[in-house]
Amino acid sequence: MEENLKWLWYAFGAAWVIHILYVATIASRAKDLRGQLDNLKSLLKDQQEKAG
Amino acid sequence: MTEAVSTKPDKLTPVLAVASATLVVASLYLIFVWVPTENSMGIVQRIFYFHVPSAATSWVAFIIGGVAAIRYLANRDGRLDDLSVSCNEVGLVFCIVNLVTGIFWAKPIWGIWWAWDARGQSAMLLAVIYIGYLILRQSVDEPSQRAVVCAVVSICGMIDIPIIYMANRWWRTQHPAPVIGGGGIDARMGMVLAFTMVALLVLLWYLVRQRRKLAELQRETEGVRRMVHALG
Repeated sequence: MEENLKWLWYAFGAAWVIHILYVATIASRAKDLRGQLDNLKSLLKDQQEKAG
Repeated sequence: MTEAVSTKPDKLTPVLAVASATLVVASLYLIFVWVPTENSMGIVQRIFYFHVPSAATSWVAFIIGGVAAIRYLANRDGRLDDLSVSCNEVGLVFCIVNLVTGIFWAKPIWGIWWAWDARGQSAMLLAVIYIGYLILRQSVDEPSQRAVVCAVVSICGMIDIPIIYMANRWWRTQHPAPVIGGGGIDARMGMVLAFTMVALLVLLWYLVRQRRKLAELQRETEGVRRMVHALG
């Protein structure tokens, strides 16, 4: 019984670790993209000002 | 041409976050406390309440992703490509959870980590198809070409779903007899299975919305980058 309980915890633990890691990757990718977008927008603004 | 990410306040996402968290906690209570222990397999059988709904949720995600891909090929609307990639990526997460929980169920029950039976192999093939899909998305730079190629893969990937579903009907497999559509399940067990299915579908909805926001952001970034290159 206790031996089998271990597998139940492994299965549910692994399932939730996968979900939590996935949510963390979404948040991390969104943060990176927002940074890139802000840089690109300021670059674009500079280029447009130079072009008059 | 850039399409700005919507700045409308999003009221649904926090509601979905709270709803999915509540439903998941309730389903864990039902699985670990409320439902009776199955006689032959014992406590390990409770993995089934998460293993089966994870598979079904991944199929729902892949089918929505595939239908969005078909609509993308007809309309060439970038938002449909966003929906398709979001559903396929989140579907892959549920598919991996299904495989991992299956492995932890197989070891104590069958004595092996993996049985090379038709259902297991077709489920693994599904994961491999969508891992390939995500690799393909990274390797094609031109957005419309990427969307078309990936839409075709997404549509082809859906073909594996009925094969997985029918695998333990068409072939002799080590997997147990069909549960969904197979009948013969205790009423309380069926209720917990259905409840967990609903909880995971709400979680799927929440995750797809979050992933779509990322896809929109990515499309906007690519658009601004093209404008910078054009001016530079």
